[in-house]
Formats: sequence, C-alpha cells, structure tokens
Amino acid sequence: MSFLNELARRVRGRLGREPAANLGDEVRFHLDMEAQALERAGLTPDAARAEAHRKFGGVDRYTEELHDERGGRVVEWLAKDTRYAIRIARRFPAFTAIVLLTLGIAIGANTAIFSVVDTVLLRPLPFPEGDRLVLLYAQNPDKSIIRFSVSYADYLDWRKQTKGFTDIAAFASTSLSFVTGDDAQRLSGMAVTSNFFDVLGARPQFGRVFHDGDAATETDNEVILANGFWQRQFGSDSTIVGRPIKIGASVRTVIGVLPPDFSLVGNPIDAITVFTPASIPNVESHAQHMLSVVGRLRPGVALAAAQQDLSAVAARIAEANPPIAGWNANVFLVRDELVRGLKNPLFVLLAAAGLVLLIGCINVANLLLTRSALREREVALRQALGASRVRLVSQLLVESALLAIGGALLGLIIAKLTLRVILRVAPTGLLPGTIGLNARVLGFALGLAALTTIVVGLWPALSVTRLRLARSLRDGGRSSSGGVRTLRTRRSLVVAETSLALVLLICAGLVLQSLQRMLGVDPGFQPDHVVAMRVSLSGPRYNDTTQVQFFRDLQSRLEGRGGIDAVAAANTAPISAGGINAPIRLIGMPARAGEKLMGPTTAITPGYFRTLGMRLVGGRDIAWSDGRPMLVVNESAARRYWPGQNAIGKHIAFGDRDTIGLEVVGVVVDAHVRGLTTDAPAMIYMAYEGAARIARTMTIVARGRGDVGAVVATTKQAVREIDPALPLYNAQSVTQIIEQSMGQPRLNTILLSFFALVAVVLAVIGIYGVVSYSVTQRTQEIGVRMALGARQNDVLRLVLREGAALAAIGVAIGVVGAFVATPLIRSWLFGIERTDAPTIIVTAVGLVMTALAASYLPARRASKVDPLVAMRGD
Amino acid sequence: MHPNADVLQGTLDLLILKAVSLEPMHGWGISQRIQQMSSGVLEVNQGSLYPALHRVVKRGWLEASWGTSENNRRARFYRLTTAGKRQLAQETATWRLFSGAVEAILATN
Repeated sequence: MSFLNELARRVRGRLGREPAANLGDEVRFHLDMEAQALERAGLTPDAARAEAHRKFGGVDRYTEELHDERGGRVVEWLAKDTRYAIRIARRFPAFTAIVLLTLGIAIGANTAIFSVVDTVLLRPLPFPEGDRLVLLYAQNPDKSIIRFSVSYADYLDWRKQTKGFTDIAAFASTSLSFVTGDDAQRLSGMAVTSNFFDVLGARPQFGRVFHDGDAATETDNEVILANGFWQRQFGSDSTIVGRPIKIGASVRTVIGVLPPDFSLVGNPIDAITVFTPASIPNVESHAQHMLSVVGRLRPGVALAAAQQDLSAVAARIAEANPPIAGWNANVFLVRDELVRGLKNPLFVLLAAAGLVLLIGCINVANLLLTRSALREREVALRQALGASRVRLVSQLLVESALLAIGGALLGLIIAKLTLRVILRVAPTGLLPGTIGLNARVLGFALGLAALTTIVVGLWPALSVTRLRLARSLRDGGRSSSGGVRTLRTRRSLVVAETSLALVLLICAGLVLQSLQRMLGVDPGFQPDHVVAMRVSLSGPRYNDTTQVQFFRDLQSRLEGRGGIDAVAAANTAPISAGGINAPIRLIGMPARAGEKLMGPTTAITPGYFRTLGMRLVGGRDIAWSDGRPMLVVNESAARRYWPGQNAIGKHIAFGDRDTIGLEVVGVVVDAHVRGLTTDAPAMIYMAYEGAARIARTMTIVARGRGDVGAVVATTKQAVREIDPALPLYNAQSVTQIIEQSMGQPRLNTILLSFFALVAVVLAVIGIYGVVSYSVTQRTQEIGVRMALGARQNDVLRLVLREGAALAAIGVAIGVVGAFVATPLIRSWLFGIERTDAPTIIVTAVGLVMTALAASYLPARRASKVDPLVAMRGD
Repeated sequence: MHPNADVLQGTLDLLILKAVSLEPMHGWGISQRIQQMSSGVLEVNQGSLYPALHRVVKRGWLEASWGTSENNRRARFYRLTTAGKRQLAQETATWRLFSGAVEAILATN
C-alpha cells in the first residue's frame, strides 16, 4: 500500500538521524557565508546580513517547507481537520446527533458496567498481597455442605498442623449494644483472634491494632473502630485513641481506627463497626461450628496444594473425633469468594453491553458509509487537487475520532446516570457504594472511543479514498459500482446487527418472564403491614427463662396498642436464607441405615403464624402455657417425615441422646420463608423455649395498621418499658425485605432489558438506513419498472420484501445465536426453559414486524417515484 | 503554479548534480559554483536551492553528511552518488537533445 510507505517515510523523517535543529544550522551556515562574501565586497556587516537574508528569499518559508516534508505539520493538520470536522458535523446536525447518541448510549452502557466490574472484580483487596488471602470452611460432602463455620477446636488444630499457610486467623460476628447517655444502639461487631490483622496485613489509620501474641488484649477490654463508624459516631475525632467507650455492660478502650478502605470478607462495607478481641470459650468440641477462618497462603504454595494439605489434616482430625465423622475442610481465595454471586451477572451484562457497542458501531459505520458515498465527489476533487491519500484518510479519521470522543463524553454522563440507577436498584450490601467513575473507568471509555474510531472510521475512509477519481468525478458518485459494493457490505452489516439484537431480545424476554414469575410467587404468608425488627437479648439480665418472659411481656403489652394487631418473634426474619439446620431423628420411625436427617428449624414464639397470616391446616399453634417446648411442622415436613400419617402427636428428637423428643402439635401451610425462589423446605417450627440458649438474637414481627415508622415507634416504646437499655435495629417492613430479596434479579433484568431495547432500536434504525439507501440506488430501476407497468403496490412490496428479507436472515442467525448464548443466563431463569418457544417466536416475529414497519417509509417513497424523472437519471 | 515550473525545476537539479560532480560541496558553495560556471549569468534562487537539494537527496542522487568547511565551520556537504552520476549523464544527454532541438527550431528562418 503506497500510503503505508508514505507514512513510514514520514515516520522515518520524523525520527530520522538528522535532528531538526541541523536544518537551521545549514541555513545559518549559508547565510553566514553569503554575508561574509558581501562584506568582502564592501558592505557593512549589518547590510551584508540583511542582503544575505533578502537573497535567500525568506528563511521562514524555507524551513516551513522542509518541516512539512518531514511531517512536522501533523499538529497543524489536526487542528485544520478538527475545525473542518466540526464544520461538517454542524452542517449535518441530525446525522451528528444520531451518531453521538448511538455512541453515547453504547459507550455509556459499557462504561457503567465496567465501573462495576472495576470495583468488584478488578480492584485488588485492600491488603498487601491480597490475592494470597483465603477463607477456610468446614465442609461435608455427604450433606452437600460446601461452606460451613469452623469450630474453635478445628481452627486450633488446623493452625498447628497445616503447612500451606503463613498463618490463619478466626473471627466471628458479634452483636453489641453501644451506650451513649440514655440511648442504646445496636452495633454489629467482629470478634477476632489477636493475629487477625497480621494475617490480613492490615495497618490502622492511626493508633494500633491487635498483634499476634498480644496475650493481654483479650482481657484488656480493647476495641478498634471501623473508619465509617468513627466518622459517624465520633465526627472523625482524632483524639479518640485511648478514650473509653461503653459497649454493652463493659467499658472498652479505643486503641485504633482502621483505614477507610478496610473492608471485610463477605460483609457489606460499613456494616461492621467495631473489632474486639475474640473471647472465644475454649470449647473442646470439634462439632461446635461457629467461626469464620481467614488465612494467608505461604509464598510459593498454590491454592490446590494448600487444599490438599488442609484436607489431609482435616481428615485426620475427623478420624480422631467421631462426632465430626464425614466432615472435612475447604479453602477458597478471598478474591473469588467476594465475587461469587456477581461474576456471572457481571460477565453477562458486560457481554450484553459489548453487543450493544458492536451494534452501535455497525450502525455508525453504516451511516458513515452512506455519508462517505455522498462525499465521494468531494474526496475525488481533493485528490485531483493533489491531496495525498494519507491526508484524506487522516482527515476522515479525525472526523470519526471527533464523533467517538463526543460519544465517549456523552457516554460518561450516561454511565453516571446508569450507575445511579444501578446503585439505587441494587439490594443493600450487594455492591460497594464506592463505585464511580475513576481514572481507570475514564481510560476505559476513551479506549472504547479509540476502538470505535478505528472500527467505524477506518473502513469507510479507506473505501472512499480507494475510488478511482476520474470515474467518480464523471459519475458524480451516485451510480458508481462502489455503491453496489457498499450496498452489499451494508446489507451484511444490518443482518449481523439484527441477529445480535435478537440474541439480546430473547435473553431479555426470558429474564423478564422469570422476574415476573418470581414476583408472582405466593409467599405462603401475608407480608403486607408486617414489620420486622431485630433485638438481641444479651448480658447478665437474660437467661433462658427471662428471654422467653421478655417476648411474652412484649406481646401482652403491645397487642392492641397503637394499631398493632399481632406480635411474635422468630430467630430468622421472613425471606432470609440461613437459619438453624439441625440433625433430627423421628421417634418411632425406623431410621434408614446411614441416613442422617437434617431439619431446617425456626424458633418461634406463640402467635407467629397469626402475625404472618399463615394458616394452620391441623392441630394448634404453640402456646405460652405449654409447659414444655412443642413443635409445629409445615405440610411438606408432615408429608416427608410421616407419609400417609397424621403428623400431630408425633415426636422429633434433636440430638442423639434425646429418646423422647418434642411433640408436634400443629401443621401449618408451606411458606417460602427462606427465599421466594427457593422451594419451601420441610420446615420445623420450635417453641422458643427449646432454642432460647442458641437464639439470643431474635426478629420481632409485628402486624400493624399504621406505617412502618409508627409500628417501630410503638414497639420501641413497649421494649423500653420492659428493658430501657435494649436497642431495636434493622427495622424493615416484610414487603421491603421481599423487595430486597428480588433486588439483584430485578437489577439484572432491568439492565439486560435496557440493553436489548437499545439493540433493537439500533437494529431497526440500521434496517431503515440500508433500505432507504438501496431505494436511492435503485431509483432508476424502479422508474423503469413503473414505466413498464408496475403499480405502486408492486414497488411497495418490492422494497418491503428487501427489509423483511434482511430481518428474516438476521432473525434466523439470531435464533441460533440465542441458543448458544442462553446457557450463560441459565441461573437467572425461574420457571421458564431457556428454549421457551413462545418467547423465541414472539421476539423473532416482533423483530421482523418492526423491521417491516421501518422499511415502510422508504418503500412509500419508492412507490411515489415519478418514472419520467427517475429514468432521466441525474 | 508557474507553467514552466517542471522544466525549471529539472534544470536546477541538473545544475546541482553538475556542480557537485567535481567534489563534495556545501550548499553555499554549490550556489557560488553555479554562478561561477555560468559566468554570472545564472543566479540560483537561494530559496529554492535547499528544497531542491533536499529533493535530490531524497531521490538518492546526492548523499549529505556533516563536515568542516574551509573556514573551519560545521557545514553540510553534498556528494554525488553512483545513481547521481548515472542521472547526471542521462540528464545531460536529455538536456543536450532538448536544447539542440530548441536551438534548431530557433535557427530556422
């Protein structure tokens, strides 16, 4: 390619062996010599110099010319081309607006998703060598448990016996009440072993942290504050270190404040407020799973090797301790654990945004092709006037670069808005609030702009400058054979974008219906007007009896007061995953050999079913007067445990030693208490008396006629009457909880649907564009047809057929594409197959119909062609 | 554009090649030599000399290198290359043919 050679020569000229200053040297030498000669001829030095300059004929002009030869004018070119490009952009405002909007939306969508990816997936953990940090879990393959809390005994043995880790540390979330004056506030804290910060490699913003071997810390009542809590509660007071604060019944000394970027594994940032030394009871039992364990891989040890080592150690421990037979251990990188639930959605959304960008680029390239076809004459003329090809291509590239940069700027604004929507719709804690546009995201947007420039600009630019100028000038660029070639190209482009759009459309259709089905799930209880609040009964005042008494008191004080109809408590909030999963035995039923039953259990107080509006289908609710803890099971449990029998009167034992068990007094309807999209499990509801020891933190549920605030206020009042130091926290209406549990699917669905919509709009614009273009190209042919007797309707059909054919081919490819793409969103689907025929048919037909509608305008224009004018041509 | 630009340009190239054919010279020397050889008739427009030199170097007929001038200053010297010698011979022949033809036409009465 000759222009490449020219380019190379320019680059050589620019980087060449001769520095530019030497040219000046040569001229200066010449002028000096001339001046000397003139002096010898009798001129004064000044006059000689002036004469030498005059004879040379303008030093500036000469250096300027050489400058140009060596490519030194690039900057001037750019300035000139930019001015020209802006003028062109102004001259076609509609074209410019469409291109800017297309690129803006496409780049904006990508930038928004990328900034989430950047924060969530790409940003390193805020710890030195954070990619060596791991989380260790207990696991039990027989019960398909992959991640389970670790017992203190296990932790100690792992720490002593494994060789793959520099060190491991244990931590557990705690719930503390923070007392300031009369007010008590609930804090979620973290109890950590003294080596915790050493393992993470975390340093305090100021003050100090606990260190391994600080034997004193556990008794010294020290506390470290999280940055957010320190800011909120103490107004960023830097003299806080050394001051005592009252937490629960004890007074603790603040020894340090953590930096703002300290975020903990698996916890929403900001949720944790204080860190206290672990006062872990020295439990001997390996079966008391209660801790989380974080570790640091020893340098040079791979994750797989560490896992192997840990498994061997855990297997030895399990062998020596019969109660934990069958248990082993798992280790995962913290980095991977953090993004476990987000990786797939982000990948899918990034891919979808990428498709939108691709479609956008195709459209813009198409538009530029159209316009460059219109500009063939201009280009040919300039070529004839001596503009080199490099010069022309670079000018056209400057034009598309300008459009791309404009699009990127617009895209940044759109990205910012999109991020705001994302953060609003995302459930709390899913995404860190720090997501925003940073330098890296900016770089990404500009990179996209550069890529776009090349993709959309280079091709039309090369294609238009390749034209042989003589022919182009003669033909006026209208009916040249280049037109036919570009028409073919443009058709393939439109087919491609239609198929891509259909892929997105089918995915969006499937996901939308899934969301609809999720929202349509009958939770099995009435969530309206129910408010949930957490309360922690801790401290010396509470024991098994007083805890039960507290809720009994609360119920009798609260029901009927301030519009509250029913009050009860349970150890887990409705629609929350997790809860107790206890090994159970069915008394009087033959145990199948080797089978260990696990019963999902919720501890409740009397009136729970009444409060949540769950109907009892047999027997009765538990009662305060029962004397011993009774059970209620749901229908699934009754069917599963005692098929064909009446569950009422049966007994279930918890633990191995109990031979009598607890009696089932009622059967309640199934409810999706552990998540709308998870099937209602076979639930056991146990009277709170039976679980008071392990369930000190409870969720109060209250059904009231007022708004959430009023219900909370009334409940708070009643709680204060019973125990003034007891804070209520996490107050939320149950409808809100359900909303939030739908947050991520809703967010995914909104974004994917938005991308699909944009894709379809762009594809339709593309079809419209190419059909219009082809009508323009075929005006003469249409004129001939009409002169030969074709009626308006025939012409209409001719053009519509073209649009429909393009769409149909695109749709056919798209259906195949969707088949390839939908496995990616399998986990998003609920109650619908990924090959759902109605979805595919409706979206495909819909797209073809839309394409037909888009072709109608140019078709009408074609049918109105006056044969005489058309045949005369131009 | 000057109608005879090409002819004039070609002529300047030829004169440059001829001037340098005896020994390597710097730009100012070339302009002096041309003036000298033409007995002062042809005065090279110095403004077009250097672009012409540059052009000729680019075509590979001359080689440029920095050296020391007769008065001990750094100057850029131009030397004829083999291709330049061939070009000079060819251009000389063409010019002779051309000027001979023109002369013949002018000589006719």
